[in-house]
Amino acid sequence: MERSFYDVTSKGAVLQQSEVERVRANTDPKINARIDREIEDRVHFYAAQDNQEITRRIEELEREWSIERAIEVEASSMGLIGLTLGLGVNRKFLALPTFVAGMMLLHGGQGWYPLLPVFRRLGFRTRQEIDREKFALKALRGDFEGISAHSGIAQAQKAWQAVCA
Amino acid sequence: MDSKATAKALHQPVADRVREQTAPEINAQIDRETQARIYGFAARRKEDIAARLEELEREWDMERLLETNASTLALIGLGMSALHSRKWLVLPGVVFSFFLQHAVQGWCPPVPAFRRLGIRTRQEINREKYALKVLRGDFEGSSGTPGNNRSPEIALRSVGA
Repeated sequence: MERSFYDVTSKGAVLQQSEVERVRANTDPKINARIDREIEDRVHFYAAQDNQEITRRIEELEREWSIERAIEVEASSMGLIGLTLGLGVNRKFLALPTFVAGMMLLHGGQGWYPLLPVFRRLGFRTRQEIDREKFALKALRGDFEGISAHSGIAQAQKAWQAVCA
Repeated sequence: MDSKATAKALHQPVADRVREQTAPEINAQIDRETQARIYGFAARRKEDIAARLEELEREWDMERLLETNASTLALIGLGMSALHSRKWLVLPGVVFSFFLQHAVQGWCPPVPAFRRLGIRTRQEINREKYALKVLRGDFEGSSGTPGNNRSPEIALRSVGA
Protein backbone atom coordinates (compact mmCIF):
# COMPACT_ATOMS: atom_id res chain seq x y z
CA MET A 1 0.00 0.00 0.00
CA GLU A 2 1.82 3.07 -1.22
CA ARG A 3 0.43 6.36 -0.09
CA SER A 4 1.53 9.68 -1.40
CA PHE A 5 4.59 11.01 0.41
CA TYR A 6 3.27 14.50 0.49
CA ASP A 7 -0.15 15.96 0.75
CA VAL A 8 0.41 19.08 -1.23
CA THR A 9 -1.86 22.09 -0.86
CA SER A 10 -2.43 24.54 -3.66
CA LYS A 11 0.50 26.52 -2.29
CA GLY A 12 2.72 23.46 -2.35
CA ALA A 13 3.20 23.38 1.41
CA VAL A 14 3.89 20.04 3.00
CA LEU A 15 1.13 19.22 5.42
CA GLN A 16 1.73 15.69 6.36
CA GLN A 17 4.16 12.96 5.64
CA SER A 18 3.04 9.39 5.29
CA GLU A 19 5.14 6.37 6.02
CA VAL A 20 6.53 5.47 2.65
CA GLU A 21 9.85 4.85 4.40
CA ARG A 22 10.05 1.11 4.98
CA VAL A 23 11.72 1.27 8.38
CA ARG A 24 9.30 3.84 9.75
CA ALA A 25 6.36 1.87 8.40
CA ASN A 26 7.61 -1.10 10.43
CA THR A 27 8.25 0.81 13.66
CA ASP A 28 5.87 1.38 16.55
CA PRO A 29 4.32 4.83 15.89
CA LYS A 30 5.21 5.83 19.47
CA ILE A 31 8.91 5.29 18.76
CA ASN A 32 8.70 7.15 15.44
CA ALA A 33 7.03 10.01 17.30
CA ARG A 34 9.78 10.03 19.91
CA ILE A 35 12.48 10.17 17.22
CA ASP A 36 10.61 13.01 15.49
CA ARG A 37 10.21 14.90 18.74
CA GLU A 38 13.94 14.68 19.36
CA ILE A 39 14.60 16.16 15.91
CA GLU A 40 12.16 18.99 16.64
CA ASP A 41 13.73 19.70 20.01
CA ARG A 42 17.21 19.77 18.54
CA VAL A 43 16.25 22.06 15.66
CA HIS A 44 14.63 24.44 18.15
CA PHE A 45 17.73 24.27 20.33
CA TYR A 46 20.10 25.02 17.45
CA ALA A 47 17.90 27.89 16.24
CA ALA A 48 19.25 29.78 19.24
CA GLN A 49 22.89 28.81 18.61
CA ASP A 50 25.39 30.45 16.28
CA ASN A 51 26.32 29.02 12.89
CA GLN A 52 29.53 27.43 14.16
CA GLU A 53 27.57 25.24 16.55
CA ILE A 54 25.18 24.30 13.76
CA THR A 55 28.08 23.34 11.49
CA ARG A 56 29.51 21.11 14.21
CA ARG A 57 26.16 19.37 14.60
CA ILE A 58 25.83 18.88 10.83
CA GLU A 59 29.23 17.18 10.72
CA GLU A 60 28.14 14.94 13.57
CA LEU A 61 24.98 14.02 11.67
CA GLU A 62 26.97 13.06 8.58
CA ARG A 63 28.97 10.62 10.67
CA GLU A 64 25.95 9.19 12.51
CA TRP A 65 25.44 5.45 12.05
CA SER A 66 22.18 4.82 10.23
CA ILE A 67 19.95 1.89 11.12
CA GLU A 68 20.95 0.17 7.85
CA ARG A 69 24.57 0.16 8.95
CA ALA A 70 23.66 -1.22 12.37
CA ILE A 71 21.62 -4.02 10.81
CA GLU A 72 24.39 -4.83 8.32
CA VAL A 73 27.01 -5.17 11.05
CA GLU A 74 24.74 -7.27 13.24
CA ALA A 75 23.48 -9.52 10.44
CA SER A 76 26.86 -10.26 8.91
CA SER A 77 28.42 -10.95 12.33
CA MET A 78 25.62 -13.33 13.24
CA GLY A 79 25.96 -14.99 9.84
CA LEU A 80 29.70 -15.53 10.32
CA ILE A 81 29.25 -16.86 13.87
CA GLY A 82 26.60 -19.28 12.64
CA LEU A 83 28.82 -20.54 9.83
CA THR A 84 31.74 -21.06 12.18
CA LEU A 85 29.62 -22.98 14.66
CA GLY A 86 27.98 -24.92 11.83
CA LEU A 87 31.34 -26.05 10.50
CA GLY A 88 33.11 -26.51 13.84
CA VAL A 89 30.45 -27.77 16.23
CA ASN A 90 27.21 -28.96 14.70
CA ARG A 91 25.62 -28.58 11.28
CA LYS A 92 22.39 -27.52 12.96
CA PHE A 93 23.99 -24.15 13.65
CA LEU A 94 23.74 -23.48 9.90
CA ALA A 95 20.12 -22.60 10.65
CA LEU A 96 21.43 -19.32 12.08
CA PRO A 97 23.05 -17.89 8.91
CA THR A 98 20.06 -19.15 6.93
CA PHE A 99 17.67 -17.32 9.24
CA VAL A 100 19.81 -14.18 9.18
CA ALA A 101 20.06 -14.13 5.38
CA GLY A 102 16.33 -14.72 5.05
CA MET A 103 15.53 -11.90 7.45
CA MET A 104 17.91 -9.53 5.71
CA LEU A 105 16.25 -10.32 2.40
CA LEU A 106 12.90 -9.56 4.01
CA HIS A 107 14.32 -6.30 5.37
CA GLY A 108 15.61 -5.31 1.93
CA GLY A 109 12.28 -6.04 0.32
CA GLN A 110 9.76 -4.94 2.85
CA GLY A 111 11.61 -3.22 5.68
CA TRP A 112 10.90 -5.39 8.70
CA TYR A 113 13.70 -7.09 10.60
CA PRO A 114 13.54 -9.09 13.86
CA LEU A 115 15.84 -6.68 15.72
CA LEU A 116 14.30 -3.56 14.20
CA PRO A 117 12.29 -2.71 17.36
CA VAL A 118 15.46 -3.06 19.45
CA PHE A 119 17.58 -0.86 17.19
CA ARG A 120 14.81 1.74 16.91
CA ARG A 121 14.37 1.81 20.68
CA LEU A 122 18.12 2.35 20.98
CA GLY A 123 17.62 5.42 18.78
CA PHE A 124 19.10 4.25 15.47
CA ARG A 125 17.63 6.44 12.75
CA THR A 126 17.15 6.05 9.04
CA ARG A 127 19.29 8.21 6.74
CA GLN A 128 16.07 10.00 5.79
CA GLU A 129 15.51 11.01 9.41
CA ILE A 130 19.13 12.05 9.89
CA ASP A 131 19.02 14.14 6.72
CA ARG A 132 15.76 15.75 7.77
CA GLU A 133 17.53 17.14 10.83
CA LYS A 134 20.58 18.03 8.74
CA PHE A 135 18.70 20.00 6.09
CA ALA A 136 16.52 21.76 8.67
CA LEU A 137 19.77 22.90 10.32
CA LYS A 138 21.20 23.97 6.97
CA ALA A 139 18.08 26.08 6.43
CA LEU A 140 18.60 27.69 9.85
CA ARG A 141 22.24 28.37 8.97
CA GLY A 142 21.00 30.31 5.96
CA ASP A 143 22.33 27.92 3.30
CA PHE A 144 19.18 28.34 1.23
CA GLU A 145 18.88 32.09 1.64
CA GLY A 146 18.41 34.14 -1.49
CA ILE A 147 17.45 31.22 -3.68
CA SER A 148 14.11 32.25 -5.02
CA ALA A 149 11.63 29.65 -6.00
CA HIS A 150 11.40 28.81 -9.66
CA SER A 151 13.44 31.23 -11.61
CA GLY A 152 15.69 29.31 -13.87
CA ILE A 153 19.02 27.61 -14.09
CA ALA A 154 20.91 30.15 -11.98
CA GLN A 155 18.66 29.39 -9.03
CA ALA A 156 18.98 25.67 -9.66
CA GLN A 157 22.76 26.00 -9.59
CA LYS A 158 22.57 27.83 -6.28
CA ALA A 159 20.27 25.16 -4.89
CA TRP A 160 22.66 22.39 -5.89
CA GLN A 161 25.63 24.18 -4.39
CA ALA A 162 23.66 24.82 -1.21
CA VAL A 163 22.75 21.18 -0.66
CA CYS A 164 26.35 20.10 -1.31
CA ALA A 165 27.91 22.67 1.01
CA MET B 1 27.83 23.44 -17.06
CA ASP B 2 29.10 25.63 -14.29
CA SER B 3 32.64 24.56 -13.45
CA LYS B 4 32.48 25.94 -9.93
CA ALA B 5 29.50 23.76 -9.15
CA THR B 6 31.36 20.67 -10.38
CA ALA B 7 34.46 21.47 -8.37
CA LYS B 8 32.28 21.86 -5.32
CA ALA B 9 30.53 18.58 -6.00
CA LEU B 10 33.87 16.79 -6.23
CA HIS B 11 35.17 18.16 -2.98
CA GLN B 12 32.22 17.61 -0.78
CA PRO B 13 33.18 17.28 2.84
CA VAL B 14 30.28 14.90 3.29
CA ALA B 15 31.21 11.73 5.13
CA ASP B 16 29.74 9.12 2.83
CA ARG B 17 31.63 5.84 2.97
CA VAL B 18 30.42 4.57 -0.38
CA ARG B 19 31.48 7.78 -2.13
CA GLU B 20 34.88 7.60 -0.52
CA GLN B 21 35.33 4.10 -1.91
CA THR B 22 34.17 5.01 -5.43
CA ALA B 23 36.39 6.23 -8.26
CA PRO B 24 36.15 10.06 -8.44
CA GLU B 25 35.06 10.00 -12.08
CA ILE B 26 32.09 7.79 -11.23
CA ASN B 27 31.10 10.05 -8.34
CA ALA B 28 31.41 13.01 -10.69
CA GLN B 29 29.27 11.25 -13.29
CA ILE B 30 26.55 10.54 -10.72
CA ASP B 31 26.70 14.16 -9.51
CA ARG B 32 26.45 15.45 -13.07
CA GLU B 33 23.32 13.43 -13.67
CA THR B 34 21.76 14.63 -10.41
CA GLN B 35 22.68 18.22 -11.22
CA ALA B 36 21.25 17.99 -14.74
CA ARG B 37 17.97 16.71 -13.33
CA ILE B 38 17.77 19.54 -10.81
CA TYR B 39 18.43 22.08 -13.57
CA GLY B 40 15.74 20.43 -15.65
CA PHE B 41 13.23 20.91 -12.84
CA ALA B 42 14.07 24.60 -12.42
CA ALA B 43 11.59 25.43 -15.16
CA ARG B 44 8.96 22.87 -14.20
CA ARG B 45 5.74 23.20 -12.26
CA LYS B 46 5.44 22.44 -8.57
CA GLU B 47 3.32 19.37 -9.29
CA ASP B 48 6.16 17.91 -11.36
CA ILE B 49 8.59 18.50 -8.51
CA ALA B 50 6.18 16.82 -6.07
CA ALA B 51 5.95 13.81 -8.36
CA ARG B 52 9.74 13.62 -8.61
CA LEU B 53 10.06 13.84 -4.81
CA GLU B 54 7.81 10.83 -4.46
CA GLU B 55 9.87 8.94 -6.98
CA LEU B 56 13.04 9.74 -5.03
CA GLU B 57 11.54 8.32 -1.82
CA ARG B 58 11.00 5.03 -3.61
CA GLU B 59 14.38 4.91 -5.38
CA TRP B 60 16.47 1.89 -4.38
CA ASP B 61 19.61 3.11 -2.66
CA MET B 62 22.96 1.34 -2.44
CA GLU B 63 22.35 -0.15 1.04
CA ARG B 64 19.03 -1.69 0.09
CA LEU B 65 20.43 -3.18 -3.09
CA LEU B 66 23.47 -4.61 -1.29
CA GLU B 67 21.36 -6.10 1.51
CA THR B 68 19.12 -7.84 -1.00
CA ASN B 69 22.04 -8.95 -3.12
CA ALA B 70 24.13 -10.30 -0.21
CA SER B 71 21.29 -12.18 1.43
CA THR B 72 20.25 -13.79 -1.85
CA LEU B 73 23.80 -15.00 -2.53
CA ALA B 74 24.16 -16.28 1.05
CA LEU B 75 20.88 -18.20 0.77
CA ILE B 76 21.93 -19.75 -2.55
CA GLY B 77 25.22 -20.90 -1.00
CA LEU B 78 23.47 -22.35 2.06
CA GLY B 79 20.89 -24.11 -0.08
CA MET B 80 23.51 -25.62 -2.37
CA SER B 81 25.54 -26.78 0.65
CA ALA B 82 22.52 -28.71 1.92
CA LEU B 83 21.76 -30.21 -1.49
CA HIS B 84 25.20 -30.79 -2.99
CA SER B 85 28.45 -30.19 -1.23
CA ARG B 86 29.58 -28.53 1.98
CA LYS B 87 32.11 -26.64 -0.13
CA TRP B 88 29.26 -24.30 -1.07
CA LEU B 89 29.50 -22.84 2.45
CA VAL B 90 32.44 -20.83 1.12
CA LEU B 91 29.88 -18.61 -0.65
CA PRO B 92 27.98 -17.39 2.45
CA GLY B 93 31.34 -17.15 4.25
CA VAL B 94 32.72 -14.77 1.62
CA VAL B 95 29.45 -12.86 1.32
CA PHE B 96 29.07 -12.24 5.07
CA SER B 97 32.74 -11.26 5.40
CA PHE B 98 32.58 -8.72 2.60
CA PHE B 99 29.26 -7.43 3.85
CA LEU B 100 30.72 -6.85 7.29
CA GLN B 101 33.60 -5.03 5.66
CA HIS B 102 31.12 -2.93 3.69
CA ALA B 103 29.19 -1.99 6.81
CA VAL B 104 32.33 -0.94 8.63
CA GLN B 105 34.36 0.56 5.84
CA GLY B 106 32.07 1.11 2.84
CA TRP B 107 33.53 -1.16 0.19
CA CYS B 108 32.58 -4.62 -1.01
CA PRO B 109 33.01 -6.23 -4.45
CA PRO B 110 29.61 -5.31 -6.00
CA VAL B 111 29.92 -1.61 -5.04
CA PRO B 112 31.96 -0.49 -8.09
CA ALA B 113 29.63 -2.34 -10.46
CA PHE B 114 26.50 -0.90 -8.82
CA ARG B 115 28.02 2.59 -8.83
CA ARG B 116 28.76 2.28 -12.52
CA LEU B 117 25.09 1.41 -13.02
CA GLY B 118 24.23 4.69 -11.32
CA ILE B 119 23.05 3.34 -7.95
CA ARG B 120 23.15 6.20 -5.46
CA THR B 121 23.56 6.38 -1.72
CA ARG B 122 20.63 7.70 0.32
CA GLN B 123 22.69 10.83 1.01
CA GLU B 124 22.99 11.50 -2.72
CA ILE B 125 19.28 10.90 -3.27
CA ASN B 126 18.48 13.24 -0.39
CA ARG B 127 20.66 15.96 -1.90
CA GLU B 128 18.51 15.89 -5.02
CA LYS B 129 15.39 15.82 -2.87
CA TYR B 130 16.31 18.87 -0.82
CA ALA B 131 17.64 20.84 -3.81
CA LEU B 132 14.22 20.35 -5.42
CA LYS B 133 12.51 21.43 -2.21
CA VAL B 134 14.66 24.54 -2.10
CA LEU B 135 13.72 25.30 -5.72
CA ARG B 136 10.06 24.83 -4.85
CA GLY B 137 10.49 27.52 -2.21
CA ASP B 138 9.89 25.21 0.77
CA PHE B 139 12.62 26.82 2.87
CA GLU B 140 11.67 30.45 2.28
CA GLY B 141 11.61 32.43 5.48
CA SER B 142 13.43 29.87 7.62
CA SER B 143 16.84 31.51 7.95
CA GLY B 144 18.11 34.46 9.89
CA THR B 145 20.30 34.98 12.91
CA PRO B 146 19.60 33.50 16.34
CA GLY B 147 16.62 35.24 17.83
CA ASN B 148 16.13 37.29 14.69
CA ASN B 149 13.70 35.96 12.09
CA ARG B 150 15.16 32.48 12.27
CA SER B 151 12.28 30.06 12.16
CA PRO B 152 12.76 26.48 13.32
CA GLU B 153 9.04 25.97 12.63
CA ILE B 154 9.43 26.73 8.93
CA ALA B 155 12.64 24.71 8.72
CA LEU B 156 10.95 21.69 10.31
CA ARG B 157 7.86 21.97 8.17
CA SER B 158 10.04 22.25 5.06
CA VAL B 159 11.89 19.00 5.72
CA GLY B 160 8.62 17.24 6.49
CA ALA B 161 9.58 16.45 10.09
